[in-house]
Amino acid sequence: MARVNKVMLTDVPTLKKEAKIGEAAKLLAQNQVGCAVITEDNKPIGIVTELDFVRNLASKGKSLKENVSKIMTSPVTLMTPAMKLDEALKIIDTKKFRRYPVVENETLVGLVTKKDVVNAISDNLRLHRNIQNVVLILFVLFEFFVFVIYRYIYQYLPFGF
Amino acid sequence: MIAKVIFDMIKAKNIMTRDVITISKDSTIMEAVKLMVSKSVSGLVVVERNKPIAIVSENDIIKGIVSKKTNVQDVMDNEFMIVSPLTTFSEINKSLKEKKIKRFPVVENDKLIGLITETDIIEATRDFTRFHQIVQEAILAIFGFATAFFLFYFSPVGASVFG
Repeated sequence: MARVNKVMLTDVPTLKKEAKIGEAAKLLAQNQVGCAVITEDNKPIGIVTELDFVRNLASKGKSLKENVSKIMTSPVTLMTPAMKLDEALKIIDTKKFRRYPVVENETLVGLVTKKDVVNAISDNLRLHRNIQNVVLILFVLFEFFVFVIYRYIYQYLPFGF
Repeated sequence: MIAKVIFDMIKAKNIMTRDVITISKDSTIMEAVKLMVSKSVSGLVVVERNKPIAIVSENDIIKGIVSKKTNVQDVMDNEFMIVSPLTTFSEINKSLKEKKIKRFPVVENDKLIGLITETDIIEATRDFTRFHQIVQEAILAIFGFATAFFLFYFSPVGASVFG
């Protein structure tokens, strides 16, 4: 099974925790990831997604000047690069988030999304099934071969069936 | 091969969300935001005479707020693909991966009947991966039993049992 470090995104948009909501909005507008990780000394302490932004800023009328920590989701669920994909999926299913920062030695090294994990598992299983099919076909051919051989050699076999 | 057959059995109508939230292009961004938050969706379909003409996503809204636009018309984007209820899952998945299109309004007889989002596609991928696994396991089991029986039937022991 592949691990989280194979599917994670290494180019993560990050913000210092002192940043303003306006900066977060600019960062979100520029990148395609749909979130920004809030860090303190390279350690993720929160995450701001497009959803947080739209929900808080627009409905409660917070201004762009306020601190980003007002709208971030914190604490954030973290993953490690060595985590197996099915463990990651288990966490995703219990936490119900879509994006998870990946940390190694308390440093942010990447970001993993639900989509990437599901797709990677699906691809892995497809490979697994193809191998299963090849083994199955080889096995059937081998059996057929044994049957054919058996017809010719059973009379010379030492045991008496 | 089995994957192809199973993936073609899945049509757009099986995975789409039926309650599509629509908005007209003359509304303001704030109206769009309120609608999104109250219906808890991440995107709206902009319609004109019941025909989808564009999509507004959270990302578009943020871009609009950053560049100080006020109307939905100024921020909506045309990156969507209209599909019919009978479009196959593999086709939709391909467009998602290759063309990076994330939303697919489903239209039947010029009427908007559903919307397929990335989340729907992820969930469908999961469900059908699981289903495919079960089918595969069933085929393996049938083959296994058939082979075992075959071996036994033609073996000397089997011959003496079955006569």
